[in-house]
Formats: sequence, C-alpha cells, structure tokens
Amino acid sequence: MEIAVLVKSAPDAETRLRANAAGTGLDTDGVKWVLAGYDESAVEQALLLKESVPGSRVRALAFGPSPRSEEVLRAAIALGCDAATWVEQPSDLAVDPILAARALAHALSTLPSDLVLAGKQSGDDEQGLVAAAVGELLGRPSFSGVTDLRFDAAAGRFTFSRAVEGGTETGAAPPPVVIGLQQAWNDPRTAKLPNILKSRKAPIDRLAWAGVAAALGEHAAARSTAARFRLPPPRTGAKMISYKTPEEAAKELVRLLREEAKVFP
Amino acid sequence: MPEFTLTEEQTSLRDLARKFARTEMLPRAAECDRTGRFPEEVYRKAHEIGLMNLNVPTAYGGAGLGLVEQCLITEELARACSGMTTTISANNLALEPIVLGGSEEQKQRILPPFCGRYNLASFCLTEPSGGSDAGALRTRARRSGDEYTLNGEKCFITNAPHADLYTVFATIDPELRHKGITAFVVPRTAVGVVAGKDEEKMGQRASSTGTVRFEDVRVPVADRLGQEGDGFSIAMRTLDQTRTPIGALATGIAQAALDYASDYALKRHAFGKAIAEHQAIQIKLANMAQDVAASRLLTWQAAWTIDHGQRGTLESSLAKCFASDAAMRVTDEAIQIFGGYGYMREYPVEKLLRDAKLTQIYEGSNEIQRIVIAREHLRAYA
Ligand SMILES: Cc1cc2nc3c(=O)[nH]c(=O)nc-3n(C[C@H](O)[C@H](O)[C@H](O)COP(=O)(O)OP(=O)(O)OC[C@H]3O[C@@H](n4cnc5c(N)ncnc54)[C@H](O)[C@@H]3O)c2cc1C
Repeated sequence: MEIAVLVKSAPDAETRLRANAAGTGLDTDGVKWVLAGYDESAVEQALLLKESVPGSRVRALAFGPSPRSEEVLRAAIALGCDAATWVEQPSDLAVDPILAARALAHALSTLPSDLVLAGKQSGDDEQGLVAAAVGELLGRPSFSGVTDLRFDAAAGRFTFSRAVEGGTETGAAPPPVVIGLQQAWNDPRTAKLPNILKSRKAPIDRLAWAGVAAALGEHAAARSTAARFRLPPPRTGAKMISYKTPEEAAKELVRLLREEAKVFP
Repeated sequence: MPEFTLTEEQTSLRDLARKFARTEMLPRAAECDRTGRFPEEVYRKAHEIGLMNLNVPTAYGGAGLGLVEQCLITEELARACSGMTTTISANNLALEPIVLGGSEEQKQRILPPFCGRYNLASFCLTEPSGGSDAGALRTRARRSGDEYTLNGEKCFITNAPHADLYTVFATIDPELRHKGITAFVVPRTAVGVVAGKDEEKMGQRASSTGTVRFEDVRVPVADRLGQEGDGFSIAMRTLDQTRTPIGALATGIAQAALDYASDYALKRHAFGKAIAEHQAIQIKLANMAQDVAASRLLTWQAAWTIDHGQRGTLESSLAKCFASDAAMRVTDEAIQIFGGYGYMREYPVEKLLRDAKLTQIYEGSNEIQRIVIAREHLRAYA
C-alpha cells in the first residue's frame, strides 16, 4: 500500500507566542517549529498501517517555507517514513488553506497513493480545511475526525471510527481515500537516536514553487488573508490554594468555586 | 573560532533528550528521590530509544557520538533528574576503558552483545581505603598460567548492585604503585563477584551505588585490557573523556534551579510586588545566569577540544570543577529565592542542591581537579 501523509511545521507548545508588528499574524522570530499534535498522530497512523500491511511505503509531504518544512520531514523520516517530498513555499508567499491544498494535491497527483492521511487540522492555524480540500481536488472521498483507522485486507477497504455527537460512528471505504485524523488517540512513538542521525542524511525530494505555480495557473495565489491577530489578554487573579492533603485542597477549591466565584449554588 | 550555533543534528538530539527527560524522567524524579527507588523502567526505555552507551562507536553497537553531542544530551537529562542521568552516564564511564584500551577482538566480542540489549556496567576504581590516590589501590591480581585471580573490594561504585559487567582496576604488585595497575573486564556471572547492597545517599537517589567484592575471581588473560601496568593510564584517559559530561550534568542541575527560581520570582509577591522586581533578587538571578552560561561554555569548550583530537586534560578539569562548584552556588541561591518553601521537601529545589553536591566529589574530587588545573596552568610559566 502506498500511503502519503501530509505534515506541517507548527510552533512548539512551549514557544512563547507574540503577535507580529503589523498585528496580522504570529511573530515567527525565535519560534521553534516542530511536527506537532494532529500531524504526529497522522504519522503514527501511517506507520501503524505500514506495519500491518506488508510491502507498504509511507511518504511524508510538507508544503511550507524552508528550513522548517524540511525539518518536520526529517522528523517524519526519523519516526519511520520511507520518503519525503517538500513542496516549496517561497517565504514571502502568502498562503491560505485552499492554496496549501492545491499545492499538495498537485504534488500528490504525480505520486501513487492509496491513502492520503493528514491531521484533521493543523497544530497552529486550525482551519481544518486542507484534508477535505485535497480530497475534493483529487476527486476522492474524504473523512475527517477519524480514529482507529485500519485496513481490512480481506474486504480490500479501510474501516474507521468517528466520534460524533452522542456516540461513535463507524465507516468503511475502499482506496483511494483522504483521511483527516483526530489527535493523539494513538500515542505517537518517539524517534530513536540512530534513526534521527540517519534522517539527517536522507534525501528529500523537492518540488520547486515555479513548477507548482505553473501547474496551478490562476489558482497559484491565496484568496483569503488574516486581517488581525491577537493573543488572549494575560490572565490575572490566580489564587493559590495552600493545603496539606489533596482532600483538603479539593474541599477548599469547592468552597471557593461556590462562595467566591459563584459558579454553582 | 568555534561556532556557538548548534547544527540541526545537534538540535534534534538535544530535543530527543529533552522530550525523554520531560516525559519519562521528570514525572518520577521526586518519587525516586523520596524513596530511593531505582527506576529501571526509565533506563530500559532510555536504552530502547538509543540514549545509552553514547560514547561507544556505532561499529560496536553504541551511538558513536562526539563529546559535544554527549554533553547536549547529558545536560537535558540532568535538568530533569541528575540521579537517573548518573545511572545512564555510568555505562559510558565503564565502557570507555574497553573503547580506549581494548583490542579489536575484545571490542568485537564484548561491546555489541552488551550494547544490543539493556545492560548496565560499572567502573570499579575507588576502594574503601581511598579514591583520589588511585595509584595506591589494593585490589590484587595474581597471574597463574592463562588466568588472573582477583581479590579485593571496591566501594561507592555506581550501578554496582545492578551491573552485568564490571571494568575493574587491580594491581599486580602494590610496590609498583601506579605502574602495577591493570584493567580487567569481569562479568557479573563470574564466580566470586559479590555486589553489595545499595547505599543510602544524600542526593542523586535514583542512582544506585554500592560495594563490589572480588573473592578469588578467576579472569582469563583474554579479558585483560592492554598490558600489565596499563591500567592507570587507561583509567586516567577514561576520566579525561568522561569528566566533561559531568560538567554538562552539573550545568543541567544548575539550569533546572535557575528555571525554577526565575519562574517563582516572577510569581511570588512581597511588599506589593513580584520578588523578581526587588533588586536583591535580580542580582541573585543575574549571578545564577552567569554561572549557568559560564558552565555551559566551559563544558562545550572542553568537549570541542577533545572532539578535535586533543587530550583536553586542562579544559575538562576547568569545566567539571567550575560547573560543579557553580551548581552548588546556583542551587543554594534557588533555595534562598524560594524562601521557606525552598527548604521543604515538597518543592523541587532542595533536591537539586543535594544532587549537585555529588558533582564536586565523584569523577575526581574538585580538590584533585584544582591540582590538575594548577599543574597544567603552571606548566605554561615554568
Ligand atoms: C555517589 C557516588 C558514586 C560514585 N561512583 C563511582 C564509580 O562509579 N566508580 C568509582 O571508581 N568511584 C566512584 N565514586 C567514588 C569517587 O570517585 C570518590 O569518592 C572520589 O574520587 C574521592 O575519593 P574518596 O571518597 O576515597 O576520598 P579521599 O580520596 O579519601 O579524599 C578525601 C578528601 O581529601 C581530598 N584530597 C585527597 N587527596 C588530596 C590531595 N592530594 N590534595 C588535596 N586534597 C585531597 C579529597 O578531595 C576529599 O575532599 C563515587 C562516589 C560517590 C559518592
């Protein structure tokens, strides 16, 4: 089985985020970029499928600026992906989710894939559009918020679950499909040190923007932009509870919630 | 001039160590400190993801890292728990004599099976009658035919209660002093190896330290490292390699203390403002930040020097001695910044001071480091 997994660099959870000077987005200065959240789960899922279906190969694809996109691809290789494609985004090119989906769909149209996996949304922008748009552009069915994805070899189809309001839905679809995964239900593995060292020397295929732009023609530009970006106001009024036992702390917390915060009667 | 930016490879190794430290070590650090439990599950996992035996060349099943990379990893691990880091580092210390002094046949025979699965090793130099004066050790090795018989006792040996392999320094004749010292590789399973119990320690309590007795232990000549009398040089060259990561370990402890103290100083209020706004606290934090930065730079300098093929005796002593003394100062001030809470076991900083103390003692006490530094220093003036 040929599996393609879409990954994107996102700020490390410990990065202290700031708005840029124009107030339109994140100040990327000093941000540490990592393979994070949903995408880590997507890579893990791809590797689990590869391990369960003999002869499978996993290719990671990233559309984004250099060098952070190559870095997340190397992280994916260190985890066990067999190959990687970097779809170049010039650092001064404005991007929206549909442009990202078009660039990735173009890259995918040149590669074999029975399954395209992605996080159901990215770890930073959280628009949740790319996987569905890639499905649409490739003319393939797509599903989002998926957990527990498996391949039923006898029936030749994928089976999966989706958490929906009030319960769990199970579904099935034959390849090729596009799937947006729910986060962290599969306990992503940690890359081993020797594999990290090997990933530094692994080749990364590059699709230059000029070629992508030519293929996309009039669609090679973003059509939406962020007007304003704000961080939440700093939190104030934290109250420390001093206690000897957890029971004592819980009691005091309930008292404060009831009497001071008045969150319940 | 050396560069101070890390390569992407170095960054990814440091990130791996940081992630492992945060997810596997830190959550267990306080519990293991309180109970003295030896968290074997952490060490097994460290082995599984490749964070053990960092100094053993890849050809023999290790990670084959340079000292700069070893230091980056060691600092991150020690930031979470230096006791656990000491357990992990003790393998490097015990295997380095084989890497440096072993024949090709010995390396091929001993190292790959050892590194291939989770195993611990011990470096056995110190004896009850003395550690600093290694030339005066008393454990005897008597040769008859194709084997030696070892008799004697080693103490304060890291990993001894759990080790599968011991590198042992013994003398063929105490009269010869350091010229009689000879190194051997002894498996735990050899008849007459008696590993004592785990000692109760002041700090680094997640590590395990104990005695090992050798009672008529028969060791084939094939398990002698180098020639008779090479042991002292093997031990000293080993310590030249492993001293620098101890500087990194001490830097990790100091960094943790600085992290906790800075965070606390911004949150704790006294006299109507955060204590970080009182100049007396700012001066402490500034001094601590200097100590941490200087420790790290001396450590990197020593690692870089040795990675570039020099022996680095002076540089590694400067790094180990300064960083361990700095770790004592920084952890002490961290407790002070925490005030009464700093003295309480429930808060993380008093552990750091108890942990830091060991770094002034082991792998050559700081008095010995100063003797070395002065000797190397004065040589340039003589
Ligand atoms: C937790 C722990 C783990 C250890 N792990 C290991 C291990 O894995 N393997 C191993 O072989 N050893 C290990 N050691 C032993 C350690 O290396 C020794 O404790 C250390 O070298 C000092 O030796 P000593 O304790 O015998 O002190 P001594 O050598 O008796 O020294 C006592 C004091 O005198 C000072 N002193 C000695 N000589 C001089 C001098 N010429 N001038 C000035 N001052 C001097 C020393 O610095 C020290 O302050 C460990 C120790 C501890 C506490």
